[in-house]
Amino acid sequence: MQDEEHSLIKQCADGVADTYAILVERYQDMIYNIAYRMSGNSESAKDLAQESFISAYNNLRNFRNDSKFSTWLCSIVINKCRDYLKSQKQHISFDEIPEIPSAKASPEEDISKKQIIDRVQTALNMLPKDYREVVVLKHIEGLDYGEMAVILNINANTLKVKTHRGREMLKKILKAMGVLNG
Amino acid sequence: MDKNIDIIHKLIDGELSPEEEKAVLMSIDTEPSLKNELNLLRKTLHIVENCDRKSAPASFTSEVIRELKPHARLKRAGLRGFFLRERVFRWNMAAAMAAMLFVVILGAGILHIQKKDNLSSSLNRGTMVTVRFNFYSPDAKSVSLAGDFNKWSINEYPMKKHTNGVWTIEIPLTPRTYSYMYVIDEKVWAADPKADLYHDDGFGSKNSVVRVSTS
Repeated sequence: MQDEEHSLIKQCADGVADTYAILVERYQDMIYNIAYRMSGNSESAKDLAQESFISAYNNLRNFRNDSKFSTWLCSIVINKCRDYLKSQKQHISFDEIPEIPSAKASPEEDISKKQIIDRVQTALNMLPKDYREVVVLKHIEGLDYGEMAVILNINANTLKVKTHRGREMLKKILKAMGVLNG
Repeated sequence: MDKNIDIIHKLIDGELSPEEEKAVLMSIDTEPSLKNELNLLRKTLHIVENCDRKSAPASFTSEVIRELKPHARLKRAGLRGFFLRERVFRWNMAAAMAAMLFVVILGAGILHIQKKDNLSSSLNRGTMVTVRFNFYSPDAKSVSLAGDFNKWSINEYPMKKHTNGVWTIEIPLTPRTYSYMYVIDEKVWAADPKADLYHDDGFGSKNSVVRVSTS
């Protein structure tokens, strides 16, 4: 798979744009999903994902064959999302997590799946961006710590601490929203 | 973070040894608050991991391809397409004779110019500049040089270690600006602390930059 991808990448670098379409098709859902979970809205997700693929194409000569193309793409979309979130200046500190009284009153089983999904996204939006990144990559994209460390360019210990804190914060928010009982 | 909570996360990640895991599970069994935290965390992750995946819009790929910089596509495809495209030429005898005459005159002209330009062509050959790269890494087992001049290959330019811990290599380069990195033990990428400048590759890393000139 990796050899085949490197061959495709070489063809792209030689200007065969149709070949790049194969790579875009292959990874568009993953990159779009990350952008969506990070930005919280489909319009921005589409822009961020498209910008990521365009940026990757224009920088193919910087792609080092020591990592997977998908890992490199993930690092690009994460950086695009960081810039986007910085421009949005969204940040809610751990102590500022708002409680949602009407939601809290609802028992877990009474909330529809759609409502749960909406509230998970709202909860993700409330996480600081570095915690959101690790939760999205680990628990929505299912990546392992090794690949995440490359994407986020941080060491494994820092990454694990961030992941633990991100999950704790998410748990607290979901509990406050009435998605979790206990 | 509470040490017990931290251990619960390690348990979830499967990062405890079988003995540690057994001990942690036993203490969780006797401690209702910890058991509750573990259950809540498991539920949290279950909910997050089972969220629907969002798919890119149907026209996503075609929009990306359309947005690729025309000049980037043309620059790469242009020369290749120009030389490899099949063509059909229509000709007649008069045009062929004129073309032949043109080729003969052009050939004679080139021969004449070549004699005059012997000196300048030898100068052109000299525009390759030998550049020496030095990198101090006394503990490394191997160091290689990778950059856009060798498509970031980690094998093409292995460096030579000297007794003072400095690794060196000399390579011929045509004058222009290059990005490069050192690769230590085939896995760690390091920027050159003595680079001319650093170029942010846009993805959180910095490449070293060297400007090669004839002066």
